[in-house]
Amino acid sequence: MAYAGPVLLKRIPDDPAQRKLYRYADYIATGGYASLKKVLAMLPEDVIKLVVDSGLRGRGGAGFPCGTKWTFLPKDLFPRYLAVNFDESEPGTFKDRYLIDHDPHILLEGIAIAAFANKISTSYIYIRGEYHHEAKLLEAALAEAYEHGIFGQKHPGTDIVSHCYVHRGAGAYICGEETGLLESLEGKRGWPRIKPPFPAVAGAFAKPTIINNVETLACLPAIVEHGAAWFKTMGTPSSSGPKLFGVSGHVNKPGVFEEELGIKMSTLIEKYAGGVKGGKYRAAIPGGVSMGVLGTDQYDAELDFDIGRKYNVLGLGTAGVIVMNDKTDLVVMLRNIVRFFAHESCGQCTPCREGTAWMHKILNRIVDGFGQPQDFDVLAELCLTMGAMPGTTICGLADGANWAVKTFLQKFPEDFKSRLKSRQVQGVAVTGAVVA
Amino acid sequence: MPTMEVDGKKITFEGKKMILQACLDAGVELPHYCYHSGLSVVASCRICLVEAEHPNPKDPTQMIKIPKLIPSCQTPAMDGMKVYSKSPKAAANQKAVMEFLLINHPLDCPVCDQAGECSLQDYSYKYGRAESRFEEDKAKKPKKDIGPHVLLYSDRCIMCTRCVRFTHEISGTGELAVFGRGHKEEINVFQGRPLDNPLSGNVVDICPVGALLDKDMLFTQRVWFLKSTPSISPFSSGGENVFIEHNQGRIYRIKPRFNAEINKWWISDEIRYGWKFVHENRLSKLVVGGREEIAWETAEAHLDGMMRKTVAEKGPGSTALVLSAFDTTEEMYLAAKWIRGIDRQAWLVLNPPRVDGTDQTFKNPVTGAITYVIRAEKAPNRRGAEKIISHFSGNTCELSDLAAKVAGGAFGAAAVVLDPVPGTDRAVETALTGLDNLAVLSSRPTALTGRAALALPVCTWAEKSGVFENFAGRIQAFDRAIEPLENTRCSGAIFWSLLGESGTYRSQDGRLMMGREGLPDYAGVTVPKREKKVQLMEFSPL
Repeated sequence: MAYAGPVLLKRIPDDPAQRKLYRYADYIATGGYASLKKVLAMLPEDVIKLVVDSGLRGRGGAGFPCGTKWTFLPKDLFPRYLAVNFDESEPGTFKDRYLIDHDPHILLEGIAIAAFANKISTSYIYIRGEYHHEAKLLEAALAEAYEHGIFGQKHPGTDIVSHCYVHRGAGAYICGEETGLLESLEGKRGWPRIKPPFPAVAGAFAKPTIINNVETLACLPAIVEHGAAWFKTMGTPSSSGPKLFGVSGHVNKPGVFEEELGIKMSTLIEKYAGGVKGGKYRAAIPGGVSMGVLGTDQYDAELDFDIGRKYNVLGLGTAGVIVMNDKTDLVVMLRNIVRFFAHESCGQCTPCREGTAWMHKILNRIVDGFGQPQDFDVLAELCLTMGAMPGTTICGLADGANWAVKTFLQKFPEDFKSRLKSRQVQGVAVTGAVVA
Repeated sequence: MPTMEVDGKKITFEGKKMILQACLDAGVELPHYCYHSGLSVVASCRICLVEAEHPNPKDPTQMIKIPKLIPSCQTPAMDGMKVYSKSPKAAANQKAVMEFLLINHPLDCPVCDQAGECSLQDYSYKYGRAESRFEEDKAKKPKKDIGPHVLLYSDRCIMCTRCVRFTHEISGTGELAVFGRGHKEEINVFQGRPLDNPLSGNVVDICPVGALLDKDMLFTQRVWFLKSTPSISPFSSGGENVFIEHNQGRIYRIKPRFNAEINKWWISDEIRYGWKFVHENRLSKLVVGGREEIAWETAEAHLDGMMRKTVAEKGPGSTALVLSAFDTTEEMYLAAKWIRGIDRQAWLVLNPPRVDGTDQTFKNPVTGAITYVIRAEKAPNRRGAEKIISHFSGNTCELSDLAAKVAGGAFGAAAVVLDPVPGTDRAVETALTGLDNLAVLSSRPTALTGRAALALPVCTWAEKSGVFENFAGRIQAFDRAIEPLENTRCSGAIFWSLLGESGTYRSQDGRLMMGREGLPDYAGVTVPKREKKVQLMEFSPL
């Protein structure tokens, strides 16, 4: 492990007063687009091999190896598209926004590298609807990039002209699911697609498509510059490289911090985020609310792609850590999480459409003080019956809701059980009458 | 042929098929809502999930178990596959999906038209749980009037999106869409764009629950009272296969009957709602000279006598028979045989059916495949009539040429079979202006029946059996659905007895006669079997 300083955030200083937007000239002056120049002299296959060797895993949540994803493209099918997933709408996640707010060209360079390596003709940056400011920044940066020949040129050695567009979403969480994103990109309702065919074979407009997260692509310039071996010196063997961690919740200094993968959550909170605020650490969500919750005894959890297996959560997700102190009402917290999923369920598959709303209604009732003992079991059963992991839904949205509910119930059962009373007992308490 | 094992039962299938389709084709029922053989696969209802194992491609003796539940509607069937739809995991999912679908369903089966033929009811008995654990308030969604024929009760909707896909893929009109998202989503039409296309009624058929309702049938009859008789569309030359659904001598609705080569799963609205003439404005009295009512035996003798007298007075070629393209081929054969028996040179004339413009073709906007064709010719049996006329050959002419012959005084008498629906009356009246010895066989009173020397009330297609020949020469038989209206007979029966044949007229006797007498195509045509509609409920232990 040798993390020597920021890689992704190298142009974004820690001190808010010194942060500024890096335009094209600033970006070039700080060594920008040097990696692209280096790449254009390489063979596309060598670039793909470099990314495979670096062990770069997708930063969007699932942690799928980026280079492997690229190799799924069918050999002779053109045109190919790249969809950049900037639909960052997971509660607790704001890392991509932070990056683009100050350094949009690092993404564009990453896109240009990926486009060259995979002979992509058009790249679409699918940006979350609510990111008005970032959409404007990217449009401006893109205009600069076109002006300086980063896009709008043929890939060396081919007849494929590389283009890049910003496509604004309309504010739906489900459009961050890769096939939902493609549907939305095509102008349709953002309902995730059934697979097969997989996007690598028939994605956007039924053509081979790669979908990568903003941060994943932003890692590419550094990998090209320093090589795969250097990239692997950071992080753990299975999770290499630096990672942006967004810390929010009960901490003194919330924000986005860069560290190598595999650091302890306690280190992240204490060294970077200024420690827990307003009380002691009780619980934390490792990476966006869909990943579930880490318990009180899991404060030292290593934040890498193996966290799911080790600490009984869904995974690292987007590494947007939400910290909760010991004064947090976890039932209300869970209700808020489930409300999000009930609101954002696209409504395609029966279990997710009905199940998330049902869980929300039950939690509402518990928060209102009308919870009954069987509610705990109903919640526990509901969150096992739906999701892409048991196979009962098309996409993973329901899994996110389930893991949140499941881990809260498993790790903090007393918080819930203490609120559940049978109705007769309530009747006695309220009216004083004896219930036969 | 590849085989597959479904819950221990071996089934065979051909070609590339999904597991669910292979099962349905083999008669094995797997629960499904969103899947429809005629529409694209969305795999969203999630009740068809099954467990499966398939042979290892490297070592076929070993089976690979698929760890997750898989959607049978979306997973291709493989040779040697084993499918478990009743395994604990699959059954638990069916139970869960049924519970999910019912938590916001109003459960108003007693006032729902779909009750009795509702997948939600059937699967609830078969796969659901007895009690609901849902204590919260149900989501309340509105009832909407979405088009001239269709109502949408959103509260009963289970969001299978079959109707949405129908308007996008079959009618190509795209009126319906999903609005909103999650548990608040609803099917709706766009503002100012009602569900008003010539195939709109089909969405009611494909709705697995009582969300889409037919205004025409609304609250008129419980479906478990309906008897269903396979029949052929009587309004167009396509020969669309339908079911006549009726009870106690009254038709309540027409439903499409699957025929892969003609209408697939669909029928047009004009066929669906065109049956009203069977019960409205019927001629039910035998009238001689516009006044007198007589009995059938007298009337038939009168008809026969009228023709014989004319031939005796004016010689051969002085009578005519005007055929309707709405009659069955057998009836036309018997009528032609009868009149040629009296007058060897009798004129055989076809009353040409109405043609509305050109054929209206519906296509899938994406694939361009033709999904349905509404035929311009609005009569079921023109081809049959032409075949009969050419079989008897001799004196034949167009209806429009008849007027000159009548005016020239060559004619003495004519027997006319009128169409059961208006449209060509004026042409027949014009052609026969000034002819007094007129025998009219009609199912409804018209100007011609008023002035005819003899008007005989006949049956409509629902009250008789026979064959129709569609535009492409396809001969299809159909059976009688309801009892004839009191005091009416089918024209076949009239001419059967006038020909001196014994016994009650049956259409198969007519076809056998035709087979013997030089029209062998007809002898072997049989009426489709009445399908058993109600399936025995099978309870599986959960």
